[in-house]
Amino acid sequence: MKVLFSWVKDYLEPGLSFEEFKAKITRLGFGIDSAEKTGVDAENVFTAEILKIEKHPNADRLSLCEVSTGDKIYKVVCGAKNIEVGQKIPFAVIGARLPEGVLKKAKIRGVESEGMICSAAELGLKGYDSEAVLAEGKGGILPLDKNLPLGADIREVFPKADYVFELEITPNLAYCLSHYALARELSVFYGLTLREPRIPSFDNEGAPVIKIEIEDPKNCHRYAGIVMKGVKNKKTPEYMYDRLKAIGLNPKGDVLIDVTNYVMFELGQPIHCFDLRNIRGGEIRVRQAGKGEKIKTLDGREQELSEEVMVIADGEKPVAVAGVMGGFYSSINPDTEDVLIESALFDPPAVRKSSKIVKIKSDSSYRFERGVDPELQLKAALRVAGILKELNSAAEIAQISDSHPFKKEPAVIEISHEKINSVLGSSLEKGKIDACLKAIDPSFGGRLFTAPSYRGDLKNIWDVAEEVARYIGYDVIESRTSMPLMKVAENGRHAMLNEFKNGLSACGLSEVCNYDLISLKEIRDMLSNENEAVELKNPLSSDFHYLRPALPASLMKNLKYNLNRGRNSVCIYESGSVFAVRDGKPEETRQLAGLLYGYLLDEEFWRGERESLDFYHVKGILNRVFYGYGDFAFEKPEKAPHYFREASCLALKISGETVGYAGLLNPQIISNFDLKDNNVFYFEVNLEKTLKHFETEFYKKIRKIKPVSQFQHSWRDLSVLLDRKYSWGEVHPEISGIPELLWVKLVDVYTGKNIPEDLKSLTIRFMFSSMEKTFTDQELNKLMEGVFKKLQDKFQAVLRS
Amino acid sequence: MTPDQWLERLSRIEKEFFSVPGGEDPGRLEQKYLGRKGELALLLRELSSFSIEDKKRLGQTGNALKNKLQENLDSRKTSRGAAASEARPALDLALSGYPYPRGSVHPVTFTANKIIDSLGKLGFSLEDGPLAEMDYYNFEALNFPPHHPARDMQDTFYLNLKDEKNMDYLLRTHTSPVQIRTMKSRKPPVRAISFGKTFRSEAVDASHSFVFHQMEGFYADKNVSMADLKWTLETFIKDLFGSGAKIRFSPSYFPFVEPGAQVEVSCVFCGRNGAAGAGQKPGGEEGKCPVCKGSGWLEMLGAGMIHSEVFKACGYDPEKVSGFAFGAGIERFAMLLFGIRDMRMLYENDLRILKQL
Repeated sequence: MKVLFSWVKDYLEPGLSFEEFKAKITRLGFGIDSAEKTGVDAENVFTAEILKIEKHPNADRLSLCEVSTGDKIYKVVCGAKNIEVGQKIPFAVIGARLPEGVLKKAKIRGVESEGMICSAAELGLKGYDSEAVLAEGKGGILPLDKNLPLGADIREVFPKADYVFELEITPNLAYCLSHYALARELSVFYGLTLREPRIPSFDNEGAPVIKIEIEDPKNCHRYAGIVMKGVKNKKTPEYMYDRLKAIGLNPKGDVLIDVTNYVMFELGQPIHCFDLRNIRGGEIRVRQAGKGEKIKTLDGREQELSEEVMVIADGEKPVAVAGVMGGFYSSINPDTEDVLIESALFDPPAVRKSSKIVKIKSDSSYRFERGVDPELQLKAALRVAGILKELNSAAEIAQISDSHPFKKEPAVIEISHEKINSVLGSSLEKGKIDACLKAIDPSFGGRLFTAPSYRGDLKNIWDVAEEVARYIGYDVIESRTSMPLMKVAENGRHAMLNEFKNGLSACGLSEVCNYDLISLKEIRDMLSNENEAVELKNPLSSDFHYLRPALPASLMKNLKYNLNRGRNSVCIYESGSVFAVRDGKPEETRQLAGLLYGYLLDEEFWRGERESLDFYHVKGILNRVFYGYGDFAFEKPEKAPHYFREASCLALKISGETVGYAGLLNPQIISNFDLKDNNVFYFEVNLEKTLKHFETEFYKKIRKIKPVSQFQHSWRDLSVLLDRKYSWGEVHPEISGIPELLWVKLVDVYTGKNIPEDLKSLTIRFMFSSMEKTFTDQELNKLMEGVFKKLQDKFQAVLRS
Repeated sequence: MTPDQWLERLSRIEKEFFSVPGGEDPGRLEQKYLGRKGELALLLRELSSFSIEDKKRLGQTGNALKNKLQENLDSRKTSRGAAASEARPALDLALSGYPYPRGSVHPVTFTANKIIDSLGKLGFSLEDGPLAEMDYYNFEALNFPPHHPARDMQDTFYLNLKDEKNMDYLLRTHTSPVQIRTMKSRKPPVRAISFGKTFRSEAVDASHSFVFHQMEGFYADKNVSMADLKWTLETFIKDLFGSGAKIRFSPSYFPFVEPGAQVEVSCVFCGRNGAAGAGQKPGGEEGKCPVCKGSGWLEMLGAGMIHSEVFKACGYDPEKVSGFAFGAGIERFAMLLFGIRDMRMLYENDLRILKQL
């Protein structure tokens, strides 16, 4: 809420400075971001007239002026261009206090200046410079109205110095959404004396003009109405106009409209004035709208209403959306003289619903949604009537009615001082707590605390404890503990993910973090099924319209971003959720995905060419990261995800279950992201699946160490030629599994010169070892013969000579 | 051979050996004199034909010479080695080392892990929850009843899907739903944290993002007070920002706590005096610390005592159980720890930035 400092001060004894106010109010939990100083902030500045202008003898751009304040003539140096003889100007005499400091006697280019002709800025005034002056830049003086008398204090000419600021008021402090309420808060919490606004009382005789009926007291708790006739002098008083303008409203100049806003920002009670001529049938009914009923609201919009909207209706039709906005046809007109002043209390959720349906948020709905003091309605209506009566002594109060069918009893809370101390972790004496409670509830006698009517937020002992802390200061909360020890349960997902992240990072990959929201185009660009994608109902923009169904799009974007910044090697990974619609619900799967492009090394090395990344780097990295997870293996996938290139993808398996894929990215996707080089490697791992194979218990997690042989091991290489169609994946299982064999590795693959075209040469290394002995040559030869026989039988292999 | 002849041969060997010039290969010399078939070795072997007395006498002299020769050979070897290395082309020690690929974790991960470890030491276990949440867990159970204006404090993204209560699914606006899920599945005492992505429909700028990370900690047990909360946060903050860091509480509002508090941490940049430090460019107002804008304090966390309505929603009796909760944005911590001024930097994924970690 925008607050005008001087308005708050109206209700407090004088003397509170803005700095004090700011410190006091923020300590209570209100936020002030920045305060704007308004009005004139200067002393010893007077209206004066320019009598004569001459050129400065020593400076082309300066002028020498003679100015008169009526009783004295001053000689003054001036740099502004917009000065004229006969002009009225603000003149600061030597010793004047200006926002920038005290004006001292000075010689300017050899000529003594006996004061200063001021610009708006020099007086601390904002928004008073003419456009011509603003266009010219700094230095233009502020010309005054020619009819002003000479020698008048400038503070009489312009509004006095003041502060306007946006006060952040959280929903729990909504009882402070007015200037009076802020003053009351300071008075309660700091013992400042509160000054009540003038609330008149009127005699109320005679038959009611308007019959007021509330259909559902649960939605409308109270309705105070005052009928006032013959309001003729309708010009909004200047003080009211200035204040409303200062807090950012747009006063209309018609007091019948402006006074309702004024009293709302004064007391916090939303008020509406109807033109009595347009209330048909002599009645007001507070009811739910009928289906299909319409209203044109004050903002000029025609609205079709539903039964969920609460309205104020006359005998024929809705005349206002209750608590939200008045209707156009019953609004105040320039010739309105007779009014119905409405000051009601509506149920907060009912107003919120109406406001959402008609799509109008107003200062009124804002307050009703947050709750209004149930004791305020009649008081506020009388305040409005009182102000109007002061302006129009001839105006007649024709009706005062106050229907209050739904009363909420104020909360009565049994106070336990011990409980308050135990919530706060404080050791406050009883008297200190009681002082706070008495400040809020003057009737408090030591045991039962009754919440004041405006404090609907105080319902229980915890609410009261917070008030005690606010009253005394939050520093009353001590820092100490007697919390018992608790064992920390390991989070398997987190531990596992960190192992993967550390593994990938150690292999040179950097973790990225992307938005989870992407565009339809990105979904299409990575060939995902948009029909299964989870769509946002209220996206910020089409760029962030869907939840990611897969991770390649984000990583491709990161690749491009970095390539565009001169990088030629990009190795990244991300862990994130992917989403799909399953049975009408969002299905969330956590994944770890990576993308590799360019070179194995990040930077050039002086020893020569860098190695380009290929599939075997990716495979090697994943082998290293997943080492030890069940029996981790790569296998040909049954069906690879569509974002891999055909026949260029392997499935990652743990203990037989497919947990992910690695391979070349689909060239179609690569070209959709405007990249020409197809060597983009991608892998992804389903973390929900790997988690099943992740052992969290430390003892079980540890790999047992196998003993090694005391005897020398021996190795033999075998070079064979076989048909190109056989892959190592087929050959390997056939020749492993011999008990004497420690391991078998492919050390060379060769095709080309000296080899028939349809054949390839494999050099395979066999490492033999035994716990009992060193193998003899004879034994080794025999083992190798057996191996070769298998290759012969299965793959028609021949020895390479 | 008489002992005298033997001694004569010995002195000849000595003379010969010491007349060999320094450049000679010490290995070859060693072989010639001390090797298995070396001259001195052979001579010493001939002692076997002498009487015991002679053997003893001559043996002593012979062995003394052997030691002398060995000593000389060793020194020849050493000087030769030094000479040899001078002759070989020198290593260019200034050339760069091999650039083993070096990756990194994201600053948010790094920061979150530190926070999780730090609170883990105080007994907080990590819990997870979904990002696509139900209204009930994100709002209603956290004391944001339907039609409550506090819902306006968090601009929410809704999904085009309905949950069991026919409410729109939403993207969680905070990590607090994990509090509800955890308490509903466990009996007190519960001391847990959660962290992860959260979403709010806000424009992106230097300190806001519609996707960001939060962490949340809470403790429900008998007799928990705000003093326990303050101690926990103080201990945790000191672990992150050094033993000199201080915290202070001031009133604040979150529907799921009562009393509620805002937690400020003493500015880690200016040491709480609010002045711009040496070498620091004052941002905004002249001479003021650009990070805390001169106040000396940084708003870092929201906290409070778990609201009785929240306990009721989770099936805990608020008369018997009390607890505290706190939460914060992880990006803000990361920005302070790494000296990042613009939150967007964390989502650009520029490797020139990420690789600095």
